[in-house]
Amino acid sequence: MDPNGAPEMTEHQKIQVQFQLFQESLPKVDETVYRMLLNESIPLAIDVEKRLSQKLDSLPTEDPVLESLDKEVHSKLVLNPLKGNVRSNKLLQHYLTADIDYQAKVKLRLSKIGFSLGEKLSELLIFSNNPNFNFKDMDLLTVMKFLCRDVWRQLFGKQIDNLKTNHRGTFYLLDYNYKPVESFALEENMSKQEQTLLEPYLEIPCGVIQGVLASLGFRKESEVSCNASIVEVPESRTTSQRMNSWAVSFNVQVVPASDS
Amino acid sequence: MSASTSGTSAPAAASRKSLKAFSEDVWKNKTAKINAELFTLTYGSIVSQLCTDYERDFTRVNNQLYSMGYNIGVRLIEDFLARTALPRCDSLAKTSEVISKCAFKVFLNVTPQIGNWSSNKDSFSIFLEENPLSDFVELPMDAARELWYSNIVCGVLKGALEMVQMDCDVWFVSDVLKGDQLTEVRVKLNRILKDEIPAGED
Amino acid sequence: MAIYSFWIFDKHCNCIFDREWTLKSNHASGTINSKLNEDTAKLLYGMVFSLRSISQKLAGQGPHNEIRTIATGKYRAHVLCTASGLWFILLSDLKRENLSEVLRYLYGEIYIKTVVHNWLSPIDFAESEAEKRGRGTRKIRNRNFLQRVEEFLGPMIN
Repeated sequence: MDPNGAPEMTEHQKIQVQFQLFQESLPKVDETVYRMLLNESIPLAIDVEKRLSQKLDSLPTEDPVLESLDKEVHSKLVLNPLKGNVRSNKLLQHYLTADIDYQAKVKLRLSKIGFSLGEKLSELLIFSNNPNFNFKDMDLLTVMKFLCRDVWRQLFGKQIDNLKTNHRGTFYLLDYNYKPVESFALEENMSKQEQTLLEPYLEIPCGVIQGVLASLGFRKESEVSCNASIVEVPESRTTSQRMNSWAVSFNVQVVPASDS
Repeated sequence: MSASTSGTSAPAAASRKSLKAFSEDVWKNKTAKINAELFTLTYGSIVSQLCTDYERDFTRVNNQLYSMGYNIGVRLIEDFLARTALPRCDSLAKTSEVISKCAFKVFLNVTPQIGNWSSNKDSFSIFLEENPLSDFVELPMDAARELWYSNIVCGVLKGALEMVQMDCDVWFVSDVLKGDQLTEVRVKLNRILKDEIPAGED
Repeated sequence: MAIYSFWIFDKHCNCIFDREWTLKSNHASGTINSKLNEDTAKLLYGMVFSLRSISQKLAGQGPHNEIRTIATGKYRAHVLCTASGLWFILLSDLKRENLSEVLRYLYGEIYIKTVVHNWLSPIDFAESEAEKRGRGTRKIRNRNFLQRVEEFLGPMIN
């Protein structure tokens, strides 16, 4: 008997509560550190592209004298780990002025990071007794719901706000407050630049979506595609006036193998 | 004209309580948290992509991770100072204590040991018994020789310390991922940077 | 009870933000990041700089002795100096005795969220040696920061 007279929990609710407690019992780190790691990945990818295309920090060609030196001395002699360091916002400015081909390479690099994260993430979430996920009815819609609810909550501390589908393999995952770029803004009248700079920030989750799908059997690249774009926040959603949030639509296409 | 000064704002509260209890409180009450494993997996994906991009030239990967850490460190320090309201440390010993008991605690929920002080007290080591960046990570043979997997930590410390006017060298001495007994990060203070004064005033 | 102006200086002795309200009755009045304030900024910086030096000397080897407020016959300046060398300064009338919580909020909730966590914004506003030591002119201009400052301080100006 419940002393408070509240309705008893259903079996499903009990499992949900247990799962919540289990999640809370796992080791934790600070969210800011994680957010910064994710956000610095984009300047990182730009920097890598910059260094690879300019061969800026290529080391001197193999020198037998240096080779023979003690490794530690060697590393002290030739390495300044901060050589060529460019601040995050400057790297993003660099992206803004780069050509489309260059930008595409940066995006691909980020999408790959996301893909590998997505693959590992679904393992982590599914094998930790997730009551939201049942292998018996693992159709595409279930997988999408898993992405919207569990994967998103894990990554961004919130769920996807709206999932739309045509029931023929096209899905729109709408996040009306995409957390990683929540506080991103330039000056007034620079919205075009803002939009371009936000684009690479959508690539990691696109990769994650594809990685999760791949790990659950939707594997071939020709079968799955995902792209994302900034969209208008629907008026019914603009309740929080404290900061302008960014709304993103993640568009996923899954072509069933039998159709091809 | 009158002026008032303070020695007893939030920072002093930190010294009255022990730094440990203070940090525990910040971690419990002022910190939004995420699963450590997600953090580990994300960092792993980043490092592995870097190794591919640089065709397993691990020296370049090490430097890139350091540079990434530096860019994070210069921002993370402000977050740290806003949350803890700590003043500048008056000795390197105090700095080492704040790094281990407060910064590592608040951000990664670990409290590494400090030790191996040089005789002139200008350098010390941080011993990472637990390292949330590399939990369950195993390195392939080639990487185990050359890669400092968690090198981002050195960059973060470098950037953060520089923002509070401490010019330091920070590097990995050993890492259990390489088969070493301990994971040891070395911090050497080169000099305290002078606060700038307006041009023409000196 | 009124707040007259808000200033931020960085570790390069540069004023990276200034906001002055001219009409008590109008939150939107006054100037933001104004060239006209350059001289005032330099004088304000100099005053706080001198008083900080003196207070540190007076404290001797003891604990940190940070400037908190400075009062004249008509004004009170409220100061928050961070370990990273940022100064947040509010000028108010004499009725405002302690604005340290307001300054903490400006730093911890507004500056941190709209500048530090905003990857599109610089964290160091001096881009070369020539822009250091009080010779820089770059300002915080991103729209989230401006909006949050107005929302937060606007209601306090009269």
